[in-house]
Parts: sequence; structure tokens; C-alpha cells
Amino acid sequence: MEELRVHPAVKVLRYVFLIIFAAIFLIPVLFIAFTALKSRADLMTSPFYALPEKFQWDNFLKAWDQGKMSMYMKNTLFICLVKVPLGILIEAFAAFALTRLNFKWSNSMFAFFLIGMMIPMQATLVPLNILLNKTHLVSTYPGIFLVYVGFGIPFGILILRGFFRTIPKEIDESALIDGCGDMGKFFRIILPLSMPAIATLVIFDFMATWNEFLLAQIFITKDTMKTITTGLLAFKGEHSTDYTLLNAGVLISIIPTLCVYLLFQKYFVSGLAGSVKG
Amino acid sequence: MTSRMLKPWLFLLPALIIYLTVIFVPAVYTFFLSFFSWNGVAPHKEFVGLGNYAELFTQDTVFMRALKNNLFWMIGSLTLIMGAGLGLALLLNKKLKGRIFFRGVFYFPYVLSGIVVATGWTWLYNPTQGFVNKMLALLGLESWQHAWLAEPDIALYAVFAAAMWQGIGQPMVLFLAGLQSIPHDPYEAALIDGAKPYQSFFYITLPLLRETFVIVVATTLIASMKVYDIIYGMTGGGPAESTQVLSSWMYSQTFKFANIGMGSAIAFILVLVSMTIIIPYVYYTTRKSYV
Repeated sequence: MEELRVHPAVKVLRYVFLIIFAAIFLIPVLFIAFTALKSRADLMTSPFYALPEKFQWDNFLKAWDQGKMSMYMKNTLFICLVKVPLGILIEAFAAFALTRLNFKWSNSMFAFFLIGMMIPMQATLVPLNILLNKTHLVSTYPGIFLVYVGFGIPFGILILRGFFRTIPKEIDESALIDGCGDMGKFFRIILPLSMPAIATLVIFDFMATWNEFLLAQIFITKDTMKTITTGLLAFKGEHSTDYTLLNAGVLISIIPTLCVYLLFQKYFVSGLAGSVKG
Repeated sequence: MTSRMLKPWLFLLPALIIYLTVIFVPAVYTFFLSFFSWNGVAPHKEFVGLGNYAELFTQDTVFMRALKNNLFWMIGSLTLIMGAGLGLALLLNKKLKGRIFFRGVFYFPYVLSGIVVATGWTWLYNPTQGFVNKMLALLGLESWQHAWLAEPDIALYAVFAAAMWQGIGQPMVLFLAGLQSIPHDPYEAALIDGAKPYQSFFYITLPLLRETFVIVVATTLIASMKVYDIIYGMTGGGPAESTQVLSSWMYSQTFKFANIGMGSAIAFILVLVSMTIIIPYVYYTTRKSYV
């Protein structure tokens, strides 16, 4: 490998460069954390790089209460917990039909679903708004799940179809001989064998749903149903002068995503890597 | 129809119905609406043909600005974000201590929502209290201080910097995955032939990363057409419409000014641009049966 010839100075330079770059990435976060832990007076008087005089852990409690964050978090979590499994089940059914049931139209149907990836969400908002208003589904869970599941379908089918195709066809035949119907094949064979792909999709879908903003902004008008992204924005307006609370709110809101990320980092990377290799 | 022929459709049905209801039919209807002048509530829609499109390109200066900003975003993402992502991937592909840590540091902002990034960075850019100006003061660079998000000439660059902070990890991870699938043999052969490191890079690494480039470029292009959350969260398109992009201007036209026809025309232009980017990509990948 080329590594053999690398001058020690180059190796040191690499570290220096990486450390500087990492600092650029982390210092803003540190600044936000310092802000969140200072009192308002402390924030005005102490230097920006200084640790808080007295750590104001209270700020997190205040942000949690005044920003109604428990409500927003609960709403978002509920949407994720229903949307992610429901969406994946529906996508898996479709991907199963496209790959395992001899089906003349499978390629054209797949192409038809893929078109969905080319359509930006914005190009559907007005008709969807009319539809949900007419059916009185704005700010209701059926309406929210309909649009959230809908926008996940093209990507979900793409990923699951890709994985289902790699499962050998011989398995289907032996299942048939053992008297397994299509439903049995789907739930007992294909789904359990696809756990790696499903795990990746669960994580990506959870993140996407947790972070979703545009649909929530338009289709969730009731304050008590708002999600964390839209809730955080309202919080910013209400307490625009209190930066300590605002930054505490920001930090609270990223805890769940950060946990999921840290727990499943491996899947994130392998999931992305999988998409490179196709 | 026999039940055997019906069965695939039964499995497809839930996805198909939802997909048609939420994405396909609405998109077609938006195209239809783009030929009308309508405020969204009046019973009558006035047919104006291509009038909305003509107005966008000839009279609506904000639209042209938004289109240009999307273009800037695209070029900036393709050069700066992709370039930095590739650079970091090359560095972190070496055997380095702590590379898992560095990877985590550069990737984690990508899992945050656009709104969280926007809220955090708005505070960092705060003219009097924010980190950026305070840091400049500390370095004795007071003359470089700005009201970053309030000056029309620089607001877009300021927002883009935040987007860069958030987005670099994505191409980095993709490139890392691509780099790890390259075998060692060609490098060893090149070394024996006396190739310089930069030659190995241009003649081995880059060509073998071609597939990765296709994916990174496609996702980057599509993402830069759709950019919305971070702009909405940081500037809302202002000051003086200087940071409007197609999706935010579409949002304003539709939901603020109730120009449904105009908003639909912008949305359809967004579809058109995205399609011209992604169709060659889908063609390329399906032809080689990667999908």
C-alpha cells in the first residue's frame, strides 16, 4: 500500500487537519450547551467562551415546561411508532409482490413507484390540502398517517425490493412443498430473512419522520398535535429573547435522535454503504 | 381473472392506493392547477393557459432570484460539500487512531432536523451575542463582523455555511463506503511501477469511485432542488427575498398569498428540473441493474 511511503510529517499534518476540522464541528455545539446552562444575566456579562458561573440545570426544566416539549415529543414519538411499522409493512407487501409472485407487470409497477421519488413533496401540497380539508382529515391521525406513509412508499419499496431480490428463489419452492401459502411465505420466510434491510429502513424512517417539517407545518394545525420540529419553531417565537431557554430546548429536542444515532451507528453506515453497492 | 393473477395485486393494493392518493394524483392535479388563476376558495377557477409560467419568467423577479439561489445551492453542494466529503473520506480511510470518533463527529449533524440546525445556527449568527461575531472580536477582526442573516448580500452564504456543517457527513460516509470496496491490488501494482500518490488517486481511486459519484451527485442534486427547512428556519426567505428558493417561494405564493395557480406552476417547474436530473440517473442505474 501507498501507506508505507508516507512521511511522518504527513501523518502529523493529517491529525492536525482532522482535529481542527473536528473543532470547527464541535465548538458551535459547545457554545449552544454553554448558553443553555447560563443564567440570563450571566449570558450578558460573561465571555462567550467561559463556562457558566453557576450551572443552571433549571433551564432545561423551564424549557421543557414553557416550551411544552413533553407534549411535542410525545406527539412525535406516537407518530413515529405508528408510521414506521405501518409504512414498512405496506412497503414490504408491495415489494413482496414485485419480487416473489410471478407477475407480468412487476417491472412497470416498480418504475411507476419510482416516479414518486422524483416528485418533490411541494408538488402535491395543494391538492392534498384540498383532499384533507374536504374529508376533514387535517389535524387528525388518519390524515397524518396517510400523508406520512405515502411519502415513505417509493424509498421503502426501493430498499426492500432490492433486498428481497437477493433471497434465493429455491426457498420459495421448498416453502411451497412444505405447504406454505403466500402469506406464510411472506411472514415466516421473507420478513425474518430481511431483518438487516428492515432494521436499516426502521432507523432511516424513524429519523426522517422525527425530523419531518413541511408536512407537519401544513397538515397539523392543532397545537396539541404538533410535532417537535414545528413545536420548536413556535417556542422560538414565544421566547425570542430568552436564548438560554431556546438553546436548552434545542438540546432537549436532539436527545432522541442522538440516542438512536449512537445506538445504531453501525446500521446507519452499513445502510448507506448498501445503497452505494446497490 | 383467476385468483392466481389477482394475488400480486392484493399485496400491491395498499401501497398502490396510498401512493396514488398522496403522491401521483395530487402531482397530476397540481400540473392541471398551474394553468389556472385561483385563490383556493373561490368556486371559479379562471383558465389562463401558460400565463402563470409566462409571468414567472418575465415579471416575477423573486422567482428568478429563487431559481438562481437553487442553482447556487446546487453548485455549492457539488463543489464544497461533495469536495469536503471526499477529502474527509480519503483522510479517514487511512489507518488512523480515533477515526471512528472523527467519523461520528462529522456525520452526527446530518441526523439533526433542518429546523434544529436552523435554530442553533441562528443563535450562532446573532449579531450581538452570537458565537461568530464574538469569535471575530476575540481575534481582533471586528471589521469582519456582520448581521449575518439580516444583510441581503451575505444571508444566503451564511445559511449555506450552516447547511454545509449539517451536510458534509452524508457524502463522506458514502465515499468511505465506496473507498472500502476498492481492492488493494491496483495500488500495489502502481507502487511497483513507481506511481506517485497523486497518480494513484487520479488513475485508480477516482475511476473506481465512479458508481459512488453517480449516487452522491444524484442525491446532492435532488436535495439542492428541495432545500426548504433550513432556509425557512433561518431567514424565511428574507431579508428582501434574498434567500428565497423555489420551494420556499412556492410555499409563500400558495399558503401566504393564496396564488394557487402560481404556486402550482412553481411546483411543476420544480418537478421538471428534478426529473431532468433524475431520469438519466435512474436510466443509468436500472440499465446496469443496480436498483
